[in-house]
Amino acid sequence: MRGIAAAGAYVPRFRLPGDEIAIAWGTSHASGIERKAVPAADEDALTMAVEAAERALSSDAVDRDELTLATAATTTPPTEEGELLPRLARALDLPRSVATATVGGHTAAGAEALSRALDAEGPALVVAADAPEGEPAEGDHPLGAGAAAFVVADDASAPVTETAWHTEETPGVRFRERGGRDVESLDVTTYQRNAIREAVTSAAASLALDPADADAAAVHQPDGRFPYRATADLPVSNEAVAAGTVVDRIGDAGAATVPLGLLAALDAGSGDGGDADAEAGGRSLAAFFGGGTAVAVAVEGGLDVEGIDDLEGGTEIDYASYLRERGYVVNGEVAGGGAHVSLPNWRRSLDQRYRLVAGVCPDCGGVSFPPEGACQSCHSRVEFEEFEAPRTGTVRALTVIGQGGAPPEFAELQQRDGAYAVAIVELDAEAGRVRLPAQVTDADPADVAVGDEVRATVRRIYEQEGVPRYGVKFEPTA
Amino acid sequence: MRDAYVLGAGQSSFGSFPEETYLSLFDDAFDAALDSVDGEFDPGAIDEAYLGTLGVGGRQIGLSGPAVTEHLGLHGVPTTRVENACAASGFAFRQAVTAVKSGVVDVALAGGYEVMTDASSDHTRWWLGVSGETEWERTSGTTFAGVYAQMASAHMDEYGTTAEDLSRVAVKNHGNGAKNPKAHLGFECSLEDAVSAPSVADPLNLYHCCPTTDGASAVLVASEEVAREASDAPVRVAGAGAASGRVGLFQRESLTSIPASVSAGEAAYEQAGIGPDDLDFAEVHDCFAIAELLAYEDLGFCERGEAGRLLREGVTDPDGELPTNTSGGLKSKGHPIGATGTGQIVEAFKQLRGEAYVQVDDPQYGLTHNVGGSGGGVTVHVLERGESA
Repeated sequence: MRGIAAAGAYVPRFRLPGDEIAIAWGTSHASGIERKAVPAADEDALTMAVEAAERALSSDAVDRDELTLATAATTTPPTEEGELLPRLARALDLPRSVATATVGGHTAAGAEALSRALDAEGPALVVAADAPEGEPAEGDHPLGAGAAAFVVADDASAPVTETAWHTEETPGVRFRERGGRDVESLDVTTYQRNAIREAVTSAAASLALDPADADAAAVHQPDGRFPYRATADLPVSNEAVAAGTVVDRIGDAGAATVPLGLLAALDAGSGDGGDADAEAGGRSLAAFFGGGTAVAVAVEGGLDVEGIDDLEGGTEIDYASYLRERGYVVNGEVAGGGAHVSLPNWRRSLDQRYRLVAGVCPDCGGVSFPPEGACQSCHSRVEFEEFEAPRTGTVRALTVIGQGGAPPEFAELQQRDGAYAVAIVELDAEAGRVRLPAQVTDADPADVAVGDEVRATVRRIYEQEGVPRYGVKFEPTA
Repeated sequence: MRDAYVLGAGQSSFGSFPEETYLSLFDDAFDAALDSVDGEFDPGAIDEAYLGTLGVGGRQIGLSGPAVTEHLGLHGVPTTRVENACAASGFAFRQAVTAVKSGVVDVALAGGYEVMTDASSDHTRWWLGVSGETEWERTSGTTFAGVYAQMASAHMDEYGTTAEDLSRVAVKNHGNGAKNPKAHLGFECSLEDAVSAPSVADPLNLYHCCPTTDGASAVLVASEEVAREASDAPVRVAGAGAASGRVGLFQRESLTSIPASVSAGEAAYEQAGIGPDDLDFAEVHDCFAIAELLAYEDLGFCERGEAGRLLREGVTDPDGELPTNTSGGLKSKGHPIGATGTGQIVEAFKQLRGEAYVQVDDPQYGLTHNVGGSGGGVTVHVLERGESA
């Protein structure tokens, strides 16, 4: 049966403890959220989607060249109108013929993206990635971040047995004004709770699956208590709801929260470690809600989810660092302009920036990066044989650009994320040595040293003229 | 081919002069160069001019060379602006030498100028980065100091070079610059000061970095015939070497050497018929402390990895075997990008005529070494004391 053949999860490294919010504001509106995930200054829905998708595609289940459809769900695309999916597809090196769908605008977008893939023919990639923002005094308190990716195919190890929908106009529950940054709610408490509970109940009750038989239920979870309230009219056990709840550890990751909850349940149900009570071949229920639409999805079985351990751990930060990292207190505007690499020139180098494509000289066998111009070894003008360099390598030279010392186009990143390390990284390819300069991200620069092993990750490099640019950075493997 | 001689050389004060213009600064340098000529010299004899500048701040990007010569009253003199980042006027000097040697011109003016301190810090930072490799190096968020810092990190890793070794460059060069009234940062510093300065781009700290400086320098290059007529002791250009290298550090074979320095040095030594042991002093490109260490090794002052030892043993101190950067170097004298290469010639000219502020005892050969960017273009010149007529 068609369903989930492979999956990957990604949660940013930083965590803000709920206590920090309470200390900063004298109160917390993040009920039942012990810690929440905080995207680093160079992360957004696209970079998190790339990371989760790479993890999902790292399994042998499906070759990325076979994908016929890619769908993405987010309420926070990098630009309100723009090019999320084509960038995702390019960063992942998906076939140019892949059909695409970007869905957003509400927190059940992940269900729409998944549904589209279930209805399609051929292997499909579904990614839900989100990092919602809100008014810092209150609306922002529960908001976290994360990404979940599913490879949907026939004969899947976790078949999706059925989906059911319920849609009804429910204004004011959760919305963002046109052009606005902040997720808002009219905060008419009883009306909202009832509306969501009724929608979730109606959708779940339409399934053939008896909710009482669900071993895990990933239910709409804007905070830690809500999924229990939302299922009050359903015969779902508290244990099942707990098994599908992640908001307590990562916060409300918008369209990615329920997908991540479902992945946590599927991983626990893989029979490979995890929850001892969950048996392999368990039943999971996902209950999405967003914008008035509730979607219930029944999944059987389980599977190992690459990256699911991201839900735990992380590096705790204080509230001041949080405000900086998220950009709430940084305007990023700098006089003096930026280094000009034109967008068409940047685009020309995407194979290098995303996939580390280098070239071998047919004359001398030397390696050049980027594979353009004369061979960097024998200086002959040649047509290089291109290859993808390995994504793990070694720091060969290193500097730390201290606060205030960054070139103008990196000033915003630095104001948000602080001092950063820039390395010359050496990738040991079969063909030879590939070297490139790159930032070392997700690391305290003081902890990085020459000789360290690092791994490639796609991050936001900088934004110019309103257009974010993405490319490779490296993170420590240790 | 005939020889080329340095007939005169002079510089403006190097420093922070935000209200000066590149024209007014070059005016000072040109006057100083004319004053340095012993005998009668008519500026109308200048046949050609080569002037180096990066054009920091975006001032007069086009045609600044002709603007300078017309400002000086060198009306109609063909002028070429040379751009090779920090080696702009090293290459301008090379052009002048080549032109004289070829016999096409008898007197050529070489020089350089830069105004850097009249803009906001952000604006200046943007400009300082333009000589790094733009597509990869710059977009990795690194700065000019950062690229040299990467070289320092690799040198430390490979040879055990220490922060103290780097700091000794500052102590030595400030010691020299303190005696140079035209230096930008003319004060001494202790090893303790230099080691404990705030970080700029780890492992480089503030004392491992040259300042941003305004200034100009000018050199008159002439045929032997003209030189002998106007000067008691003209200085011979014994060797001229230059080379290009990959602009991006990551594209070079070594992270602890500047290959273009090695090639340019070898060419200059060969043409002069001498080796590093024959040198009596050197002015090397110490934009960052590590650059001076790399220069020692690339130019054959010592073996690979031994530069730190040279500094510890005082070999390059004014009273050492090979005094280096007696002017104060880029670190203390200052680094007005386009003016640095011919500024080094000014110091070599003074040394070889016994007129330097920190005078080396009876020198015969001196070397100048000028690096563009982190090694994309390098000139090395060997100058020889002329015999008195």
